[in-house]
Amino acid sequence: MNTTSDRPPRTRIVVVGNGMVGSRFVDDLLSRDGAGPGPDARFEITVLGAEAYEPYNRVLLSEVVAGKVEVASLALPALVHPRARVHRGMAAVRIDRAARAVHVEDGAAHGYDVLVLATGSSARIPAITGLIVAPDAPAAPSLPGASAGTTGTAAPVLPGWTAALPRGVHALRTLDDAREIVAACVNARRAVVIGAGVLGLEAACGLARRGLEVTVIHGGPSLMDRQLDADAGAVAAATLTALGVAQRLAARTTEILVTDGLVTGLLLTQPDGEHHLPVDLLVLTCGTVPEARIAADAGLPVDRGIVVDDSLCSPGDPRIFAIGDCAQPREGGTGLIAQGWDQSRRLADHLTASAARAAAESGAGRVRLGGAQLNPGRPSMALRLSMNVITRAPGAAGGGADPGAAADLGPAVAPAQQTPAQLPPAQPAPEAPRGTDVVRLKAAGLDVVTMGVCGARRVPDSSHRTVRLSDPAAGRHVEVVVAGGFVIGATCVGAPQIGADLTAAYTRRTPVPADPAYLLLQPVASATTTASDPTHMPDRTTVCRCNSVTKAGIVESWRGGARSVAEVAKATRATTGCGGCKDVVCGLVDWLAATDPAQEEDAPAETREVAAGNLTGARGPL
Amino acid sequence: MTSTHCPYCALQCAMSLGPVPDAVPAPASHLAVGGGPGMPDGAGETAAAAMAANSAAAAEDRPRGVLAEATIPGGPARVVVHGRDFPTNKGGLCQKGWTSASVLGAGDRLTTPLVRGADGELRAASWDDALDLIAERATTIAAEHGQDAVAVFGGGGLTNEKAYALGKFARTVLRTANIDYNGRFCMASAAAGANRAFGLDRGLPFPLADLGGAQAVILLGSNLAETMPPALQHLAGARERGGLIVVDPRRSATATLTADGAGVHLQPVPGTDLVVLLALLHVVWAEGLSDAGYLESRTTGADAVRRSVAAWWPERAEQVCGIDAGELRRVARLLAAASPAGGGSGAYILTGRGVEQSTQGTATVTAAINLALALGLPGRVGSGYGAVTGQGNGQGGREHGQKADQLPGYRKIDDPAAREHVARVWGVDPASIPGPGLPAVELLRRLAAPAGAGTPAGPRMLFVHGSNLVVSAPNSTRVTANLQALDFLVVCDFVPSETALLADVILPVTQWAEEEGTMTSLEGRVIRRRKALAAPPGVRSELDIFADLAARLGSPVHFGTDPAKVFDELARASAGGPADYSGLSHARLDAESEPGLFWPCPAPPAQPARPDQALAQDRPAISGQADQAALHPGTPRTFLDSFPTPDGRARMIAVDHVGPSDDLRPDAPLYLITGRVLQHYQSGAQTRRVSELAAAQPGPFVEIHPVLALTLGIDEGAPVRLATARGAIVAGARLTTAVRPDTVFMPFHWSGPGSVNRITTDATDPISGMPEFKLCAVDVSLAGAVVPARDADRISAPAPSTRSDTLEVPR
Repeated sequence: MNTTSDRPPRTRIVVVGNGMVGSRFVDDLLSRDGAGPGPDARFEITVLGAEAYEPYNRVLLSEVVAGKVEVASLALPALVHPRARVHRGMAAVRIDRAARAVHVEDGAAHGYDVLVLATGSSARIPAITGLIVAPDAPAAPSLPGASAGTTGTAAPVLPGWTAALPRGVHALRTLDDAREIVAACVNARRAVVIGAGVLGLEAACGLARRGLEVTVIHGGPSLMDRQLDADAGAVAAATLTALGVAQRLAARTTEILVTDGLVTGLLLTQPDGEHHLPVDLLVLTCGTVPEARIAADAGLPVDRGIVVDDSLCSPGDPRIFAIGDCAQPREGGTGLIAQGWDQSRRLADHLTASAARAAAESGAGRVRLGGAQLNPGRPSMALRLSMNVITRAPGAAGGGADPGAAADLGPAVAPAQQTPAQLPPAQPAPEAPRGTDVVRLKAAGLDVVTMGVCGARRVPDSSHRTVRLSDPAAGRHVEVVVAGGFVIGATCVGAPQIGADLTAAYTRRTPVPADPAYLLLQPVASATTTASDPTHMPDRTTVCRCNSVTKAGIVESWRGGARSVAEVAKATRATTGCGGCKDVVCGLVDWLAATDPAQEEDAPAETREVAAGNLTGARGPL
Repeated sequence: MTSTHCPYCALQCAMSLGPVPDAVPAPASHLAVGGGPGMPDGAGETAAAAMAANSAAAAEDRPRGVLAEATIPGGPARVVVHGRDFPTNKGGLCQKGWTSASVLGAGDRLTTPLVRGADGELRAASWDDALDLIAERATTIAAEHGQDAVAVFGGGGLTNEKAYALGKFARTVLRTANIDYNGRFCMASAAAGANRAFGLDRGLPFPLADLGGAQAVILLGSNLAETMPPALQHLAGARERGGLIVVDPRRSATATLTADGAGVHLQPVPGTDLVVLLALLHVVWAEGLSDAGYLESRTTGADAVRRSVAAWWPERAEQVCGIDAGELRRVARLLAAASPAGGGSGAYILTGRGVEQSTQGTATVTAAINLALALGLPGRVGSGYGAVTGQGNGQGGREHGQKADQLPGYRKIDDPAAREHVARVWGVDPASIPGPGLPAVELLRRLAAPAGAGTPAGPRMLFVHGSNLVVSAPNSTRVTANLQALDFLVVCDFVPSETALLADVILPVTQWAEEEGTMTSLEGRVIRRRKALAAPPGVRSELDIFADLAARLGSPVHFGTDPAKVFDELARASAGGPADYSGLSHARLDAESEPGLFWPCPAPPAQPARPDQALAQDRPAISGQADQAALHPGTPRTFLDSFPTPDGRARMIAVDHVGPSDDLRPDAPLYLITGRVLQHYQSGAQTRRVSELAAAQPGPFVEIHPVLALTLGIDEGAPVRLATARGAIVAGARLTTAVRPDTVFMPFHWSGPGSVNRITTDATDPISGMPEFKLCAVDVSLAGAVVPARDADRISAPAPSTRSDTLEVPR
């Protein structure tokens, strides 16, 4: 088995999508694969990416709009690997499951043993009168992901919507979108953002930062109402107002006003009536729609996104997997990159382990995939390990595989030929995702972090203990939910470090007190008070750390006759290490000279001189 | 008065040792903790008067002559320690330094060889008997099990001369590949990172005093205020400018120096320092703060690194490292503003053990170097990257051939030219020099191990020099068991350390003030250690022991016993290597008006120190009397013109965060981090014997955040049980908000039931072989509480890590 001719054929993996999740998955998988060209190099990968660009960091597009980052810094690692071929600007148009091939727009077909769909999502375009113009409208920018319009049942997406928006109207989903918005800012004065979710607020703050008059229109009763309840939303709203972003809440946009193909204003309905807003630049941030058409066309189960089981495999075909925004796992898609990267890691682990096991058992290099049930109840460390964790061999405990759903995905053997007796032993369950639902707003001046149980839509539960500190005048609203000795949810507006600390406790499941108050009161009160007044300095306070000298030690040396910093140093060695405590020792000597009734003569001037002369600008540690 | 340096850390504070003037009575216990009565009038008049008279003098004329003394049993006199002006410590000493003379008078000082008898007891023996026994056992074990069955474990506290002689002894007399040293525990990751990025590893490639002019200094995983207190003087400038940045999961003594506007303390989740660095790099590039001209002209690989950090925007990093994204941005901008390209007066990035003693230590150092390169710092006067070396001779100790993969001069042992050169100096056949041996942790793991699938049997005999493995090695319970399983253990020490007490033969050796030699400080400055008093009768230097054993083992190889001559040989062996000492000698170091000289310091080109010539005749003496103009001045600052890489550019290498090897899980839900206290050095074998230090820090303790203590029902001072996958220990609780609520901290200087290294992990960095001392998952409970599910045996082992998704490209 060690000659080249005996090398088992490699598993051909086709990845549709070269975005943040697709490219990460390829990287994850190849980093787990053997270096090759030996038999441990088990995968050959073809990537089909619709966008012409190299993979880039889509999460930072709102930062581009805000002018905070350079576009070049969005570029993600370019894939250069002998066993991977990347086709950019090449959209997949059809899956032929019978022939196990993906057809692309230029007519070519790419055969696969395993197909991974990472097609992402596209911007959701709400059905508003005036928004859609004729496909041949002059100078209309093309909208990426336009084909998604036919997908799903979401009513606001116009069926049959084709390819164009009026000039001055932009989604914010691609690098081109971001560039066009930035370009439009040059001549625009009044900007409106429709949708006050995370992206909408980031875009609104970014446009305000560029000096535009910005109004954000939101249908919900408060800002970010998927994450924030009304009170938290109100605190965020006040901060947003201070940043120069006006808000129209519980507002429905009824018509976009377009003149000569160019947006000029809009009409909206609020509880108090109809309003007209003049608009130079309109940004649509109304959510996203999973790109699932290619899967639906192939007859795979599609709901909101491509339905996958706990091993990220389509129930309709054991060779087809979906990860990232296009997928709909049992717990639902969050649209957060953390979830997509966690799925990428898990799928890479799964495929690698399956290939290794199959090779070890059969020597034939077959990859058996699909069907292994992840145990969603098991806590995951996914997020704290940064969505990019090392592969760890799963522990002995775990869920069992469902033999009926497993399939041999080796190139030479059809699934039907596989009998249960040949199946690999039950695969220990990889960890299910947990903690990948932390939402963190990226907007200078408005800090919002939420996780787990939060917002108005949560179900009341008597086992949850919740404490909130709401301080609207200071722009601060903090809430934490504890159950079973763990943080299970939190909302932090205007308190970024508390948010970061609670994120760490939440994602890592570290033990916390049953009383959530301690989690909020401690950090709020943690501004350390330093005893600068010697009278109030405790005797055991260390004054000179280098030589373990306490205040009591210095007092004692004074009582023993030391009357200057130099004499105190002689007696205690205080100040003879780094010298950083000299100011404090000097202060103590002055204090003793002024307050100690036992001493007969005073020498504060001299001690001052000693301190100044011997210390080069070092500060005291206290 | 003898001018020498402190025996402890790599700062090597300058001090003078002298006899106590006759007129001075022995002071009372006035230096005990908490102070005491002042020194009697007239006591220590010279020193005290000097200090008082100095009051208005320049800062470098620090108070000196605070007395600390030791009575040497059988010795000539009590000795007194004086702080001495020097660029590094400016006369200051910490409590360890002031009391260092006490170790010279340790009550249990070893003064005779001890040999374990048939009854298992150690008994006094003559040197002849002890050395004969060692020679006989070494011969027999090598004959039965092969030469690699006799192994050597060195130390970063040995002088350059001893470290050199030890490596030579292992390679030419024992002919074993298996020699490594405890520097693998402290410097290996920084060395690996610097070598592959810069082509050279000198801890600080600039004088320490250069830090003084910087606008910003970022310290990652370094608690300088407790490990090298006098060095804080060099941070005063950065603090005045608000530019001291300390990255530490604990609000350490060093971190508190950032208060009051002096800087920023970032307190990340343990094990995520790398994420902090990746986020800082991200911001530097995203906000256009990098030094594009420098990257273009002096580096390679920047584009790949830039792409790799595109995925580490601050809000994502925040979710992993627990530091507010705004703080990360603020620090990145602060560093950039301090950099030369940002118009600042300079910035330094320094790493310490806190980030290096990690399974991703080399990656973290690499990220720190990448950040320094992106900001255009290395190789510029007033800016740079450096690793703060820890052990006294941690720098020199890694240059002269006691490392498993190296020969003197920081040469690679698998480089044919290096072997050829060194073999000529040693007078042996190059082919007779063994190849690379096992790195320290692996060496200790394999001690006495039977042959396994694909692995040969482990060593059966071990020489230990300058290391107290029972306390200082990770997962030390296993190390102790392995030491006990050896056929024969030889320990050279001057006190009966915990490791020495396991030995079959203990050889009593000289200590710092009893010997001549050189040390290389954290700056790469070669300095002189001088003899201030005679060693007690019955004590020998390791140099004598190597020469004697070589003779008893029938080796024709010459081993000098005069440290100055051994240094000359070392200098020849190092000639042409990265760490070139060939332009140095004891005589030159003694004569230089400059305090010490920085390597590389090659011999003058007119007098090439070719090894064959050097062997044929004594090298022309390089001394202070020689023509100064002909002498190389040493190299205070490296990389100013180019980097010693093939293309002269620094190499940027993309790395990514992987996480710790032993991470949180339900039955070990908290982090245990380890570190040091000011009063103790390393395993405490020396400092625990100084009564003043032992009184100040008598034993181990656990720092616990009050909120965690509340959660776990632990009060101040209560006994706390810490259980990891490797076992359980108990120590008293100290409640403090200085630690994160998800983390407990313990110092590691003690043996016994509170010895934290019994439960630390010995997982190692895949590139450097350095163990992950600093971090593991732990279960914490009140000792004695009945918590059946938390039995130590049930703490699960962390899943083995494949480390497959690192982006790192090992060279």
